[in-house]
Amino acid sequence: MTIAAPTVIIEPKRRRRLDLNASLVVGLVLTVGFLAVALVSFVWLPSNPNIPVIKNRMLPPFLPDHWLGTDGLGRDIIAQLMVGARTSILVGAGGASIALILGTITGLVAAAYGKIADETISRGADIMLSIPGMVTALVLAATMGSGALTTILALSAFFTPSFTRVIRAAALGVLQEDFITSAKLYGRGKLFILARHVIPNIGGVMIVQFTLYFAAGILTEAGLSYLGVGVTRPSISWGMMLNEAQQTVGISSPLAIWPGLAIVFVVLGLNLLGDGLRDVLDPKLKRRSA
Amino acid sequence: MTAAPGAPAIEVKNLVVTNGDVTAVRGVSFAIPPGGRMGLVGESGSGKSMTALALMGLLPMGWRTHGEVLHDGVDLAKLSDKALSSRRGRTLSMVFQDPLSSLNPVRRVGDQISWVIRHHTGADRKTAEAQTLELMRSMNLPRPENLVRSYPHEISGGQRQRIMIAMALACYPQLIIADEPTTALDVTVQKQVLRLLNGAVAERNSALLMITHDLPIIAAMCDTVAVMYAGRIVEMGPVQEVFRHPRHHYTRGLLDSQPTMDNIALDGTSRLVSIPGMVPPLHALPTGCAFNPRCLAATDKCRTDMPELGGGTSLQAACWHPIARADEVAAQ
Amino acid sequence: MAIYVLRKLAFFVGAVFVASLAIFLLIRAAGGNVAAIVLGKDATAEAINALAHTYGLDKPLPVQYFDWLFGMLQGQLGQSFRTKEFVADLVTDRLSISIPLALSGLILGLIIAIPVGTYAARNVGKPSGAVLALLSQIGIAVPVFWAGILLSVLFGVRLGWLPTGGWIDWSESPIGAIRSLVLPVLSLGLIMGSVLIRYVRSAVLDVMNQDYVRTARAVGMTRTQALLSVGLRNAALPIVTIVGLQIAELIGGTVIIEMVFSLPGLSRMILANVAAREVIVVQSTVMLIIIFVIFVNFVVDLLYGILDPRIRNAA
Repeated sequence: MTIAAPTVIIEPKRRRRLDLNASLVVGLVLTVGFLAVALVSFVWLPSNPNIPVIKNRMLPPFLPDHWLGTDGLGRDIIAQLMVGARTSILVGAGGASIALILGTITGLVAAAYGKIADETISRGADIMLSIPGMVTALVLAATMGSGALTTILALSAFFTPSFTRVIRAAALGVLQEDFITSAKLYGRGKLFILARHVIPNIGGVMIVQFTLYFAAGILTEAGLSYLGVGVTRPSISWGMMLNEAQQTVGISSPLAIWPGLAIVFVVLGLNLLGDGLRDVLDPKLKRRSA
Repeated sequence: MTAAPGAPAIEVKNLVVTNGDVTAVRGVSFAIPPGGRMGLVGESGSGKSMTALALMGLLPMGWRTHGEVLHDGVDLAKLSDKALSSRRGRTLSMVFQDPLSSLNPVRRVGDQISWVIRHHTGADRKTAEAQTLELMRSMNLPRPENLVRSYPHEISGGQRQRIMIAMALACYPQLIIADEPTTALDVTVQKQVLRLLNGAVAERNSALLMITHDLPIIAAMCDTVAVMYAGRIVEMGPVQEVFRHPRHHYTRGLLDSQPTMDNIALDGTSRLVSIPGMVPPLHALPTGCAFNPRCLAATDKCRTDMPELGGGTSLQAACWHPIARADEVAAQ
Repeated sequence: MAIYVLRKLAFFVGAVFVASLAIFLLIRAAGGNVAAIVLGKDATAEAINALAHTYGLDKPLPVQYFDWLFGMLQGQLGQSFRTKEFVADLVTDRLSISIPLALSGLILGLIIAIPVGTYAARNVGKPSGAVLALLSQIGIAVPVFWAGILLSVLFGVRLGWLPTGGWIDWSESPIGAIRSLVLPVLSLGLIMGSVLIRYVRSAVLDVMNQDYVRTARAVGMTRTQALLSVGLRNAALPIVTIVGLQIAELIGGTVIIEMVFSLPGLSRMILANVAAREVIVVQSTVMLIIIFVIFVNFVVDLLYGILDPRIRNAA
């Protein structure tokens, strides 16, 4: 009896079909739109967002020159929204970036440099997470003066412990893998392993967290500016616009709507993007009975 | 509606389990008579657990059942979850592999058993508690009066599995499905639990579907055995017949790869034979007989035509070239 | 359980200590020469030094820290420079606003989140589940102060049913006080609820995927029975933890809402005192808030220990 040649096995379907889930698509569209508006604002604005034009005050929306109307001092709403987008990006992304860097360093150290480092850093992060960020941001902003820089610093301090925890958990997961053990057996140093093996494997987690905290940063900045301790004129922030709008709310309600809507769309977009990215980057977990 | 007396405890006709992309069970049929014992054997990925879950209606989200599952006078595959739930635990029940993760960690074990009794028989709390104690005693659990108040994490693995068995048998079901009931237990405990299961099932005259990859267990406990490979039954028949005279090459391979005193020599050499190749992934199955790439007797026909149980040259195996018995060969 | 409690207690004490240090350093480091700022530009050097000496601001920092810390432990929270009022008095008044607001907001949030989150988990994969997921995403994106503004416009300005701001004290009119709190609590609760929905849904889903839920169904529970009887009970554990984690957020939300509705609570006091460079008042008040949060987390840990027999009965 001769052994016959093996059968041709049917090629498996391409398993890595990019799971274009709705969350990712919608999030991407909203985020790109937001970034585009901010970029455009550097090149073109419908009119000056800061110079009062009293004769135009409180114009209703849907007029040819001022599609969303004007505020209490006659300044165009759309122009202000566009410039406000810049602030949101600057502060939100700025805070998230610094938190990402600091959080990654501390998270990696906690994961890879022994029990004592881990305990100290983890407990420290836990304690910092108990401190209401808004309160420290208020204190910081008010003692150091308001403005974009202070807000960014406050946000960084506020967000870092969360990044620390997430990065630490992700790094611990990667460090369990077998290829790390073989790298160690190979004689690779700790720093090398972290840089060459761990970081590329937690890159997905880093991106997702950054996106989500970018969104959180925008929300928090809006809150701080609303309270008057964030950015102030001539910089523009959506939160600040809402504060001004609240003062004229008895006369014209629409003013209170536009900046809020802007915030909602942008934060929603970033959150959807982050969630969508997380679904794509994480392996699918097996689901059980519903 | 109940079945006619003498009707099988369960009769499965052409069961197919799929989630749209992958088909884990590809047309399985068998019947277990009342009080009968059937073993379902196969490696991981063979579809045996999915078969069991399909019978119980406990498939993970996204998986669908096709075919018929006749039990207690109805077709389980057509029932709603609500109708099924009135049968689960009462006319058919299941024991799972890992008793620690399968028991509710925040409820006392006694309460978990009494719930089953109260739910299906309507007994009041006191009666149910008394019955629970009795049940636990029959499971050879030490000091049931204390154990009743324990939480799952406070007792041993063997005790936990006996609690699970108690829950499954409390209402004297017509069929009990045991999915690798002892695989997660210490070897020393496995035998005890199996013996207990054996006795408890016999006492109630329940039918048993024993799912395992461990052949000696089937040999000891079951009347018939079905061997599954890649979602289909490739050989089925009385245990003694299949194990002594396997017809399908996969079964032969399984039997040969079991370590026995014969093929583990004490001088360190071993003559363990393993089946070459690997189990194919369910989304990339070969054409024809799924076993053909690993089968030494495969021919072109095996690669193109799918053999059926009993449709080929043997009642017992789904194979185009079933292994001939020694006396048949001699007769030729 | 005993060891567990001790461990958590140790953490509580340690956390308070570390937080106090952090707050002290933060405020002092950023504050500049406090006495000079308090007295203003035209103050003489002598006046500044005198003030500094009276309030112990010229002592070395570590000494000031320990003085403050031990003072706090004995209930002396310090005084305002300008008004000489005791911080303790200032704070107690505000608490009668801030605490009901915060607690009611949290409770409302839970009342919304637990049923909705459970329902969303039950219907995952179905359209109703997707709609709920989207709604909660939108809720998270809404800034809590905007929700407050919108609600005050709708119910206050347009419909006139409720005040748009301001506060009527409990002593004057309990009904008035409650009316002043309705819109703030509603705003806070809706947003907190949206945030919690995601966590509740996730916790319930995780639990429903566990083997013991499958066993529950295998012995005869319907999906709904398994969800309510087994699922929720087990999901209570992660949910309790999540509530603890959200306390800091809750405080943040309370602070902003107080400003939206002009409620004379703690946040307004902090802001005013920060602007006036009243370091001691700010230090102590912020510290109180932090102690509150850490304490709540301690209570949450205890609750978790009670709910989980694996911890409760640990040998």
